[in-house]
Amino acid sequence: MPYEETMTPRERVMNALAGLPVDRTPVSNPTNVATVELMDLVEAPFPDSCRDPELNAQLAATGYTELGFDSIQPYFTIIQESSALGCEMQWEQKDNWPTVRMSNPIWKSESDVKIPANFLEHRDMVSVSGAIEILKKQFGDEVAIIGKSMGPWTLAYHVFGVETFLLMTIDDPAMTVRILDKLKEATYLFANAQIAAGADAICIPDHATGDLVSGEYYKRFLQDIHTEMADEINAPLILHICGRTLDRMPYIAQTGMASFHFDSRNDPQEAMDAVDGGIGLVGNINNPETLYSRGPEAVRKEVYACLEAGVQMVAPECAIPLQTKLQNLLAIPDAVKDWSAERL
Amino acid sequence: MTSLEILGAREVVNRFGECVELVPMDPNFHDISVGLYERDGVSTVWTFSRRPGVEGRMQDIVDRLVTLGEMEIADSWNQLRFPCGHLHTRPLKFLTTAAIERTAERDRPKELEIQDSKSALTISMTGEQVSNRHVYRVSVNGEARNPTLRLRAILAGFVRYGEMEKIDDSTVSFTCGQRHDGLARLILPYSRNISAVEDALEADALRGQMTTSTLGFAST
Repeated sequence: MPYEETMTPRERVMNALAGLPVDRTPVSNPTNVATVELMDLVEAPFPDSCRDPELNAQLAATGYTELGFDSIQPYFTIIQESSALGCEMQWEQKDNWPTVRMSNPIWKSESDVKIPANFLEHRDMVSVSGAIEILKKQFGDEVAIIGKSMGPWTLAYHVFGVETFLLMTIDDPAMTVRILDKLKEATYLFANAQIAAGADAICIPDHATGDLVSGEYYKRFLQDIHTEMADEINAPLILHICGRTLDRMPYIAQTGMASFHFDSRNDPQEAMDAVDGGIGLVGNINNPETLYSRGPEAVRKEVYACLEAGVQMVAPECAIPLQTKLQNLLAIPDAVKDWSAERL
Repeated sequence: MTSLEILGAREVVNRFGECVELVPMDPNFHDISVGLYERDGVSTVWTFSRRPGVEGRMQDIVDRLVTLGEMEIADSWNQLRFPCGHLHTRPLKFLTTAAIERTAERDRPKELEIQDSKSALTISMTGEQVSNRHVYRVSVNGEARNPTLRLRAILAGFVRYGEMEKIDDSTVSFTCGQRHDGLARLILPYSRNISAVEDALEADALRGQMTTSTLGFAST
């Protein structure tokens, strides 16, 4: 017997983030869905759609209007703030992600860390906050709009360079803490600007990834900062960290953030056990293999594994590959609905 | 009539099936994406772009699929099938790229013969009917240290990229058992160098993937 959907997509996502009952598990990617075909559908190709609020909103909306996800995410990249801070950018073409040229970092020491006065007015910041305003006007309370603000660890990679920053954490941990404290102001500023523009929740990517740093590193340098963010930012927060993160999930679960967006390298059931109810989970459909190169049946299998484990929101593990085929993305909400019809 | 309807993502998948090949940027027409969707053996050339002139460009791609791959028009002007009724997914990938990116002009040999890229050998193919199956006999001519080993590697290339079946140590056949000289000519250059083709395919696959490696986070 078909189950009945009784909530709007926004209600579904916000309830899941608050740990409240939902009519079915929401499908919501905190790190965006954009593909080259969707870019053509709404005439909003990369990189222009990363730099223009109108194009940004048009492309972001397709996650809801075309794919049937329960949220819209209008920040596609991870480099908008770094561009505003003055990093050298490589904007790439339609089929690739814009990146920071990390071989040529802009800062060398603690004294260099300064957030520009016009930080929020930079075009690459307005492209996101402006898009949120447009989307809020267009969709009102129908669908959840999720913003994104980079955490200080990610920003430090961009402005100092990955190797330099990681060496700094070993050579001068106290200075590293001070730098993270300064950089987190950028996270606050942008998160609050997006909330003011209408964002319902904020994703905080902070790439203390499993392949670069340990769980103890997370505890030492980031747990307190993320806990403070959960207190200070007036919206539900979704932390995103790539890679194997089971070792830091118990710490993440204590931060007070609403949800953790986790990678496919972590088994859904093990992840649920690791957070032990301390935080919700969102994830973790594999991108490079399942969504990019397999088919809807493989997608369905991973969605079901998440649902069986009790993962609170289903999503691709990260920003999806730009050449992802539509049938695989459509298979995510389809599988959630089928599972709900079978179980509820 | 060459006209493209305006369809949403789900309508396209419902109507035309699954996308089996996606070229993200057509270098010969405004960098639009072009997909090949497949349902019941019928391939549909599709793009979501509605730039002026896009129908003409799709027609051009359809024409090239017919010329290069010996496909035939199916139910509609932008729908094709192989006369054998099989899909031939793997060689279709190379055919689609050749049709859209015009790599055939650069890579495809005029005849079923090509110079080996790893030795001084010349690789030749001849087709023949063996009972009810069309097989391709592959031979190598010229001087090389171990031509038998080279021939074995080249046959492996045909099996891999042509989805062909190895009949014996010098013959292969398409899975449908039918003659596909167009596909054989397209696959011939790729069969010579599996490692280089694999590297190129991997680089294509990595493009547009957001990972710690592609973003530079794994640079240490």
